[in-house]
Amino acid sequence: MEVTHSIRERTITENSLVVLLQGIHGHVTTVDLRDESMAKGRIVNVDAFMNIRLAEVVYTDRYGRATHLADFFVTGRNVRYVHIPDEVNIIKTIESQLQKIHRVRNFGGEGQGRKEYLKYKK
Amino acid sequence: MRSSPCCSAAGLSNMEERERETSRTREEPKAGTSGVATGTGRQAEKDSDADSHRARLDVSSDHFDPLLALYSPDIPLPYPNVKCFNNLAEYESFLKGGRGRAKPENVEKKNRKSKKGVPDPERIERLKKLMVNNPASEEEGGSGRKRLPRRAKAPKNVLTRMPLHAGSPLGELHRCVKERLKIKVHIRTFKGLRGVCSGFLVAFDKFWNMALVDVDETYRKPVLGKAFYHEPALTITRIFDRLKLQESESPEFKKPDKTLTKESDASPGTRKEDKPGMELRRSPRKSYSYPKGQTYTKPAEKRAAEAGEERKTQKGASTESETGKVQKKAKDKPTVDYQQVHCRHVNQLFIRGENILLVNLLE
Repeated sequence: MEVTHSIRERTITENSLVVLLQGIHGHVTTVDLRDESMAKGRIVNVDAFMNIRLAEVVYTDRYGRATHLADFFVTGRNVRYVHIPDEVNIIKTIESQLQKIHRVRNFGGEGQGRKEYLKYKK
Repeated sequence: MRSSPCCSAAGLSNMEERERETSRTREEPKAGTSGVATGTGRQAEKDSDADSHRARLDVSSDHFDPLLALYSPDIPLPYPNVKCFNNLAEYESFLKGGRGRAKPENVEKKNRKSKKGVPDPERIERLKKLMVNNPASEEEGGSGRKRLPRRAKAPKNVLTRMPLHAGSPLGELHRCVKERLKIKVHIRTFKGLRGVCSGFLVAFDKFWNMALVDVDETYRKPVLGKAFYHEPALTITRIFDRLKLQESESPEFKKPDKTLTKESDASPGTRKEDKPGMELRRSPRKSYSYPKGQTYTKPAEKRAAEAGEERKTQKGASTESETGKVQKKAKDKPTVDYQQVHCRHVNQLFIRGENILLVNLLE
């Protein structure tokens, strides 16, 4: 549920649909991979590049053989689909994630908080 | 004036001496004339002193004394209101009209920057209320939040970027979101088309990542192994195959022993759509990409047989039909397996943009 510490990652997530995936941290979903295999488990973390970490996973490889895995990590590029759980409202999740990012960015006073962008042009 | 410091430094002693001399000389005549005309003499001396003093402080006079001028408390400046600089470099840049000079736009910038500091208390309050831990601050949150939209200067995030693409293909996607159009998204496999997802678009981004709801996915797993190597030889035009697949979207060729329910769900819909395209559909199923000519010539019998079976399965006949045609199909089983067209329904699906071939709007 935590917003990443990297400014770069934060801007990437903010401007793409990865926010939606970050909003469903903790839900149990299926991730279809590019190589026709599937991993069903609980989403632990999704980063800006769509790298997904899952826990307690049933991994069905492309031939159909299922295995049980405690931890699973897939590179963003190898993701094809992510099934969004039915109870998740897509727009609301995106908005709440964006608010979290906004909150983190503006935390602190004028001179104290994270200065993410220069106030003056060099 | 420039040289005066050096001059004075160098000739300091001289000047001082001269002064002392003059004072001494003055004193001597004073002493000399003291007896005779003390008062008037002194006054005359004083006046002349004052005059000469002024003359020495006057920049334009011949008797200007720079050292005295530097140390005297009240020097009459010719132009009192002149602009002062701390050093020559400043003066030079002033003359050039250099950067940072008080041009109108710079002045405005400065004012803006100074104003930026002003909403400090407001901002601090707003931030305080954002702190979730403090219950007191949470109460303030309600009122503070109203200020937020005013302060946030047009936030740019994935949701605000969606309408920005007007006029471009992504703008069309946004139209689908707004008007809740059903779209068909063609999904790609490493080579060519994998299948089609039809659903309603909720959100998208510049990478074409899409969030769809109420998705029906019709797909076929790509063929592997030796058949894969045979396929490229058979390919003529992928566009044609894509079209074929598009026409014949539904999975008539679903394996009977697999998901019966899905089949029954799919068949009524597909029947309507795909009857005309049934014949054509055969070919892509046989092999991934099929040359047009070959489809009609090569497995003519097979096609006929399977077409017959299709009709049977469509009518919802028993999963195991015992005609000879079925046996033929059973023979075909190994090849058919890999080419099985699947269909499934997903309520909410997120598709990574990289896998999307094209998007077809159904208006």
